[in-house]
Amino acid sequence: MKPKAAFFDFAGCEGDQLQIANLEEDLLALLSQVDVVSFREVMKEHSDNYDIAFVEGSCTRLQDEDRLRQIRKNAKIVVAIGSCAAIGGINSLKNYKDLDGVKKTVYGENARLFDSYAARAIDAVIPVDAYVYGCPIDREDFLQVVKSLLLGKKPDTPTYPVCVECKKNENVCAFERGQYCVGPVTRAGCNSCCVNEGTICWGCRGLVDNPNENSHKEVLIKYGQTVDDAINKFRLYFGWQEAKR
Amino acid sequence: MKNSNVEVNVHHVTRVEGHGNISVNIKDGIVEKCEWSIPEAPRFFEAMVVGRSWYELHHITSRICGICSIGHTLASLKATESALGVTISEQDLKLRKLALHGENMQSHVLHLGFLVLPDLMGVGSVIPLASTNPAEVKIVLKLHRIANEMSNLICGRTTHPQRLIPGGFSKIPSMNELTTLRKKLQDSIPNLQTVAGLFKSLESKLPNFKRETEFIALTDPNEYALYDGKLGSTDTASAPVKEYLSYTNEYIVPQSTAKWAKHARGSYMVGALARFNLNHDRLSPMAKKTAATFNLSPVCYNPFMNSIAQLVELVHSWEDSIRLINELEDKGLTTQSEYNKPEIKVKAGTGVGAVEVPRGILFHDYTYNANGVCTRANCVIPTNQNHANIQLDMNALVPQIADKPQKEIELTLEMLVRAYDPCISCSTHVTKIN
Amino acid sequence: MRVISKEDFAQFVNSLIKDSSLNVMGVKAKGDKFAFGPLESASELRMDYDVTLLPPKKYFFPQRETLVTYNVGKSFSAKSPSEIKPMVLVGVHPYDIVALLHMDEIFSETKSDPYYFEKRKSSIIIGVNIQKMSKWCFAPYMGSATVEYGYDLMLTDLGNRYVINIGSEKGENLLDKYAKNVSDALARDTQLVGQKKREVMMMSQQKLDFPTELIPEMLTKFYTESSFWERHSEKCLACGSCVLVCPTCYCFDVKDNPDLSLEQGERVRIWDGCLLEDFAKVASGENFRATRPTRYRHRYFKKGKYLYDRFGFISCVGCGRCSSNCLPNIANPVNLFNDMYQESVSSGQVTTVSTPEIKIQTEGNIDYVPKLATIIRKQPMTAMETLFEIKLDDGSVLGHKPGQFVELSVFGIGEAPISISSPPSKKDTFELCVRKLGNVTTKMHSLKIGDKVGIRGPFGTGFDTEFLKGKDLLFVAGGLGLAPLRSFFNYVLDNRKDYGQVTLLYGCKEPKELLFADELLALAKRDDVEFKPTVDRCPEDEAWTGNTGVITTLIPQIKIDPEKTYAVICGPPIMYKFVIADLKKRNVSDDHIIMSLERRMKCGVGKCGHCQINQIYVCKDGPVFNYSKIKGVPEAL
Repeated sequence: MKPKAAFFDFAGCEGDQLQIANLEEDLLALLSQVDVVSFREVMKEHSDNYDIAFVEGSCTRLQDEDRLRQIRKNAKIVVAIGSCAAIGGINSLKNYKDLDGVKKTVYGENARLFDSYAARAIDAVIPVDAYVYGCPIDREDFLQVVKSLLLGKKPDTPTYPVCVECKKNENVCAFERGQYCVGPVTRAGCNSCCVNEGTICWGCRGLVDNPNENSHKEVLIKYGQTVDDAINKFRLYFGWQEAKR
Repeated sequence: MKNSNVEVNVHHVTRVEGHGNISVNIKDGIVEKCEWSIPEAPRFFEAMVVGRSWYELHHITSRICGICSIGHTLASLKATESALGVTISEQDLKLRKLALHGENMQSHVLHLGFLVLPDLMGVGSVIPLASTNPAEVKIVLKLHRIANEMSNLICGRTTHPQRLIPGGFSKIPSMNELTTLRKKLQDSIPNLQTVAGLFKSLESKLPNFKRETEFIALTDPNEYALYDGKLGSTDTASAPVKEYLSYTNEYIVPQSTAKWAKHARGSYMVGALARFNLNHDRLSPMAKKTAATFNLSPVCYNPFMNSIAQLVELVHSWEDSIRLINELEDKGLTTQSEYNKPEIKVKAGTGVGAVEVPRGILFHDYTYNANGVCTRANCVIPTNQNHANIQLDMNALVPQIADKPQKEIELTLEMLVRAYDPCISCSTHVTKIN
Repeated sequence: MRVISKEDFAQFVNSLIKDSSLNVMGVKAKGDKFAFGPLESASELRMDYDVTLLPPKKYFFPQRETLVTYNVGKSFSAKSPSEIKPMVLVGVHPYDIVALLHMDEIFSETKSDPYYFEKRKSSIIIGVNIQKMSKWCFAPYMGSATVEYGYDLMLTDLGNRYVINIGSEKGENLLDKYAKNVSDALARDTQLVGQKKREVMMMSQQKLDFPTELIPEMLTKFYTESSFWERHSEKCLACGSCVLVCPTCYCFDVKDNPDLSLEQGERVRIWDGCLLEDFAKVASGENFRATRPTRYRHRYFKKGKYLYDRFGFISCVGCGRCSSNCLPNIANPVNLFNDMYQESVSSGQVTTVSTPEIKIQTEGNIDYVPKLATIIRKQPMTAMETLFEIKLDDGSVLGHKPGQFVELSVFGIGEAPISISSPPSKKDTFELCVRKLGNVTTKMHSLKIGDKVGIRGPFGTGFDTEFLKGKDLLFVAGGLGLAPLRSFFNYVLDNRKDYGQVTLLYGCKEPKELLFADELLALAKRDDVEFKPTVDRCPEDEAWTGNTGVITTLIPQIKIDPEKTYAVICGPPIMYKFVIADLKKRNVSDDHIIMSLERRMKCGVGKCGHCQINQIYVCKDGPVFNYSKIKGVPEAL
């Protein structure tokens, strides 16, 4: 009996689900291992009878919490896919702004019609069994997590930083090129894809489990960033994780 | 049988990006309620970018949408470059046009093959089609894969493209890689024709509905405008892009966390059909032929034909990409570092960047202070601009189909929404009131 | 020596490139730096480079390499040998050549790595003397700024020409076949080359304040200086950069990668690094090097002491890659050792240590491919532990010594080290007691009789059953520690008259966690063995008439003759210190205490680095150790 899978999205850009739709031939192979019973973006059918729930997007309002709790009830395994769901992601940038002020500026008197609170990872509301980090998720990483879940083993998600992959890929370090990178405190698993494309690591996969944050902030400052810039850099993706610590 | 009482409640329309609800109430043959509403969570992007630096904005705004990331990134870069007075090279311009073509191709194939085709074939999704029509599904996947490979090659990846940076590209493909891509494109033209043939055989399934409205898109006298152009309208004369606010006029409606827009009439439409209506004669030869086989000619007022217009654009992007690669080869590719970062002199300024993404015209508008920090931002998303048009279309369509069975009304209304290829999470990024 | 003009050298390289039977790699520009990569034309070569991002070791020991492919439930196969095209590496600096010589010894010691050597043997090294030196390079201090062998050809740049030193017949043949206009070097060129080499010796911008011979002993004295290591490692990001770019590092991890059918897959090895947080972590969650200072210290000790003791060289060639890649700038060996030297000098004497006696023997190749085996019996013993009886499919006998372990492969999941629980006197099959902890062991528990697994081994040192004949044996087992001890204990019972007094002390947390309960009951009835069990505590709903208390409470209760008695211990890490202390109170001498240790083990043959405790490999030098030999090893207990 193939396990049943369902996909859900909250506040996000649906880029992670697009990566899954973009698996091309691998998608067909994946479908031979799981039955997709709900995937609103590509199919009309929906069922509440599923074993694995893939959730994309952050929780940004009270009504999201109810939906999340229902999903947790229905599913045996809940997988947070994408940084928004796994670590809060870029949505948590707004947490540093005065939310009421923002709402008023944007919606004016109608602000009260729009419910919104600090964006958070979904594990702030429900227990999560597995995470696929990344903005967007890396297809190989996603497949690795799914295969592990199907085989009944713990996913092989790295606890070491992006530098490991970057060095293996023989990149020229961003700092050597006059740029600033948060790879040394960011969780690997993306094969340093952004540095491979000629840029830097922005931290989209979130902090490693025991980052030496102070050391890295010092590195940023040593190489020329201001204290404010260094703090801002950490806020781009680590906002929710840092707030939790 | 006349259905005098119908209730249609579609919570979270399927096979569209984002969450939208259709709510229709017909009592004793009278349409009491007909509402297209957006419950999507607002994400406050324009507030989030305030205080961030010029080299970060494109990275952040790319996250507005996973499907039109390339479009958002390019519109964002154009706005930043306009504000800071940066120009890009001829070569980079061609590469950015290829990037946009890649996105158009990828998105249109996805929309046509995965989101619209199931309706035309009477199934719930593409998944059963994999067993009943494996050959066609394989072709759709093949086309989709080439489009993705193209985006990967030019941009690094389709979703949140890394190579697109202020002033140009962090990394460019080699001429070898481009010619290999060109061969793939050329070899796949028969597949395009198969897909066109498939839709031709199903064209009777598209409802014959018509409502006059305004169409807005970028327009350019020399090419089918996608990357650059002026603001064009079927109702008024064209205008420079920086006057966009006078076109978009966004406002709030209570049933929607996304805003609505209007210009010369109560609503307007953007997207492939709009572009087709305004720029038809600048399509590539093969694309023009494709339009002719469907008897699609400007100005077409049937929103359901937006999907056919997308098919025409798919052919155009395919052919035009080959042309662009030919041009790059003729001129010879200027190489750059594997880790390129153009030097940018930072200054205060305001800039507007507009590009056509698969769903329509997209605007990014930023103001920077002397340190290159963003002090203000505004983004107008194509789907926002379409919401009012969807509503008015629904208002006109529902009475016409009110006597059909409830399931058919529901399906037709869903197909209407799907025809627009809406990107709803984009549209709830939330804009500023002006 | 020969000489060739630069134009003719370019022609030579282009002819090599044209030959499609060769893979020609050379130093090219990458951004503002340099890297070895495939050459499409000699014009890409940058022989004037200072240092490459990654050393050429990546060609012989790649970042990722398939070791084995498998078919679930059916087979394990060696990776089908891809036709190895001989590689020609152009532009290798002397320090990288020396590093490859280090790697050759490391990869051939005890057992030889076939994957490394098949690439190494078929490749051709064209070296070049250093023209520009990176500011971090201190190769002159490490004796590797120039080298007299290890290359097939060595070039020295003399402006418009290269002087070529022929290093091997392969090199000579290469020149003959592909190069034109090669003439004998003139006397002045020979002199100029000598001059260039002297200049290289003076190029270093780093300065080591003392001779390198002092390093091993200095390190030994500094092992316990925690504040020194804490101070130096405070900023460590555990990013692994220093070890990943190092030409003499060789630690690797092994993972199983199923494909989407879940029916087949491959086992791959990938570069790993001892600076990474989870390097020394085992399935139970215990991390044997959990803190930054301990990991940081380990790298210097491995390079400067442990490998020195084993091979007689300090395993650092002074290339400076670690220093240039360390963002907080704490990885420069020159800074660290200079600091250490300063502190040594101010606190007292500094001595050298005598060169160790080195015996590098190789007996055959490492076999990475597991043998197929079948589960023929499965007996759950407790909530967490199940005993499996396994038979090798090819009918062979495992042939193990008590105390050895096997690497158990569960299809699709991975490999885990499990000690053998049955005595060698039981020949046709062997037993493994598996505790359900991590991925492999959890999946193992779900397998059924008749299911297939993979077995590699037996590995490690076992108990010296011969030497211990006639002695009194005191077995001390804590928890799962009984599993490996049972292999020896049951052997003793099978050969009871060969041994003196036999005592077994066995402790668990609670009665329901006792392993081999029915065997223990039978044991209690024997009068030729003294058996004393104990539990830490007994919950109200369980019956227990034996001793209650930790295992050390049993030691005063037994009678032993310390002259004749040998203690054999195995249990959780925390147990050893206390048991040994109590045994010594009973006058048991250090060399009468034998123990079996556990660490994270991957390759089983002393190559991947994970099980290393100071200078010892638990998988190869252990897991059975005599206490007198490892009591001086700080990380052991």
